[in-house]
Amino acid sequence: MAERAALDAFWMPEQPRQAAGPFGDSGLEVRERAFGPGHIPMRIPTFTPHTLRELLAGLRQKRADLLAERPVIDIIETIGRAARRLTTPGEQYYDELAGILPELTGYSRPMIEIGLERMGAGWKADGLRAALEDEFGVLEVLDDFQPRPTGGMQRAFGPPLTVHVFSGNIPGVSVSSLIRALCVKSASFGKTAAGEPYFAVCFARALAEEDAELASCLAVGYWPGGSEDLEAVAFSEAGAVIAYGSDEAVGDIACRVPPRVRFLGYPNRVGAALVSRNALSRKAARQLAENAARDVVTFDQQGCVSPHTIYIEAGGAVSPLEYAEYLAEALDGLSREIPRGAMTPGESALIHQLRAHAEIRGATVLASEQGTEWTVIVEERAQFEPSPLNRVIQVRSVDDLGEAVSALDKVGAHLQTVAIAGKGDQVKALAGQLGAVGATRVVPIGEAAWPTPHWHHDGRFQFMDLVRFVDLETGP
Amino acid sequence: MEVRDALRAEVLELVGRGARAPADEEGFERLALEVFRYQFAEAEPYRRFCERRGRTPDSVARWTEIPAVPTAAFKAAPLVCGDPGDVEVVFRTSGTTQGPENRGAHHVRDLALYEASALVNFQGHVLPDGARLPMLVLGPTLDSAPDSSLTWMLERVRREFGANGSAHFADADGLRLVELQAALAESEAGARPVALLGTAAAFAHLLEAMDERGRRFRLPPGSRIMETGGFKRRGREIPREEFYKMLVDGLGLSAFYCVAEYGMTEMCSQFYDNVLRERARGRSPALRYKVVPPWVRTQVVDPETLEPCAEGRVGLLRHLDLANLDSVAAIQTDDLGVAGVGGFELLGRAAGAELRGCSIAMDQWLNAQR
Repeated sequence: MAERAALDAFWMPEQPRQAAGPFGDSGLEVRERAFGPGHIPMRIPTFTPHTLRELLAGLRQKRADLLAERPVIDIIETIGRAARRLTTPGEQYYDELAGILPELTGYSRPMIEIGLERMGAGWKADGLRAALEDEFGVLEVLDDFQPRPTGGMQRAFGPPLTVHVFSGNIPGVSVSSLIRALCVKSASFGKTAAGEPYFAVCFARALAEEDAELASCLAVGYWPGGSEDLEAVAFSEAGAVIAYGSDEAVGDIACRVPPRVRFLGYPNRVGAALVSRNALSRKAARQLAENAARDVVTFDQQGCVSPHTIYIEAGGAVSPLEYAEYLAEALDGLSREIPRGAMTPGESALIHQLRAHAEIRGATVLASEQGTEWTVIVEERAQFEPSPLNRVIQVRSVDDLGEAVSALDKVGAHLQTVAIAGKGDQVKALAGQLGAVGATRVVPIGEAAWPTPHWHHDGRFQFMDLVRFVDLETGP
Repeated sequence: MEVRDALRAEVLELVGRGARAPADEEGFERLALEVFRYQFAEAEPYRRFCERRGRTPDSVARWTEIPAVPTAAFKAAPLVCGDPGDVEVVFRTSGTTQGPENRGAHHVRDLALYEASALVNFQGHVLPDGARLPMLVLGPTLDSAPDSSLTWMLERVRREFGANGSAHFADADGLRLVELQAALAESEAGARPVALLGTAAAFAHLLEAMDERGRRFRLPPGSRIMETGGFKRRGREIPREEFYKMLVDGLGLSAFYCVAEYGMTEMCSQFYDNVLRERARGRSPALRYKVVPPWVRTQVVDPETLEPCAEGRVGLLRHLDLANLDSVAAIQTDDLGVAGVGGFELLGRAAGAELRGCSIAMDQWLNAQR
């Protein structure tokens, strides 16, 4: 087999003049390393604190020259056009990503394709506009002073530079993050994760082809997370730092961001699902199980929105065990339609161990015949149990969904999305109780995996949290 | 109980032939299948486990087909033939990271089997030259850790084989490193070789204490080390070669005299490195591997399907230990290894399997997400 040409896993406003070696005026060098289960050779820049500081200063300058005064509507329309090229089958970038991301991330190609298309829906100009208006009321508050209902005027300024520290679990979250900063007219430096170093680079390239000026306000590169000398520079040069990852990683970064720099952290979150007995009619049960299976299958539960435990209220037309059997059938079907991603020996071993533990303690274990493709563990107790991921779902039979709410109370701040199947006012009532114990997103079952463009990620504003308002008072 | 007593006698006889007895495949297979029949009949949770896999004594024809129970199952229910209350001891996994309710329990009905296996195997691999040495144990006596199988084994070995001057150098407060170093100095000065037994972590503490005082020992020839478990320093797992280099440097031993033990709470038998045994026969083994004693068999299986791996492939280790007569003989681990002639190479716990497969607590789950 011919050796593969290395891909450039970086985007710099000044592109390298040579394929390797010192490049451009920045004095950066590139080196090669292999990424992902496919051992894809990729070239990454070697930063020093000095070259990184110069690069970041350059980005701030580009932002001042080219981005700060651009009308926001113009920015989001350009983003929409660029994103379309990443997420539409047949487009060059779509095809490249659909080919390479399975080898970089381990996800199956069908999963990557679904991901590209569903995420793309959130990056359209209309969706971005709606999301911005949802938070700011009027979009133009990012362009100029706008009157406030209470008198006076206000204008919102994004940070000159946002530094993003991406995690590798869900491809595309990096792009959403860059888009978020662009929408508030901030330049961005994206520090990619070894688990997914390429998507953000493709976005920057597509953006450059639509609008080179806009793309020159972006840089994307990789270094091993926790490289303290580089991160000290990045964090001190930034106006805002956005970090994604484990509690440990995000907590560690939070400690190193200077107090004057705005910090937005997105640490570990878990999800759950609740099915009320009213919703469990014979007619609806199968579809509900199919929907829940899709929530489990999407990105193999690696996302913060993924369900770990499903609570089924006993006493409906379909018993919790029957529902679990439908769920198992649906997972089995989906394992062919959207195969699970690559597994490490430890991940497989863990699922075998977990199944055996459940079986010996007396739980009902429904599982794929060969291997660890999918696992449903059914028990009559309310305790929330986090999944080891990779399509292991706990089904808990409860007499009343109130027990589930109490169990989720113990998950506390780590709870994020709860998917619900219920009837009428019941959903709103449950959402209120779930909100009170920490949930930040309540959705119909089957919708957990795909947040809308205007969602409150972890209960917070996406754009508003990045900006600084300037009040213009006109006097009495 | 006639069946059980007959099996017990047979297992003891097989163990009694010694760690170096030639493998008797036919005899092992017959005995393994009979042990399976007994365990299937007497250990209720294991029977259900087998039945769900469609494996019964009537359908299983080879020892390789006997269903292996993942170690995590020992945390879920007593896996023992007969009444769980009627056992001589319950050994428990350390559970340092998992909380007391999540500790694995191995119910041992008959310590004589454990003892026979442990002593014969230790002798064969740590004392193959018949040496009788003072045993310096870098661990507590059984009184302060009554449910640790390792502590039990080390104490039993010390009593059986230890010469005058044997002692334990740990108590509830930890290792007594000053006394231990005094004992090493005495060995060095008196040219009297010693055997040091303990966990790799305990040896790491010793090396650190020696470093602090700039102390090194040149232990007399014939001195040896038996160590077990992983060795971490500043959160990083130290490769064995590096660890042995530190031991060789600090204690003045040949690496052939550093013998790693690999054991687990759920198994009555242990595995030891081949190196000292071969050294005793005048060889200088180039390859370090774990020797499988004649009453045990080890397979390497594919982590995903649990089917046997092709030769030379890395997979999960699965052991069949006849000394586990009254619990479950076939054990599926989450340790990685490669099969070779006469044994296997141990590569350590499969990364990501740390949760040890059980009900996961939220904080454990968070710790595992990196």
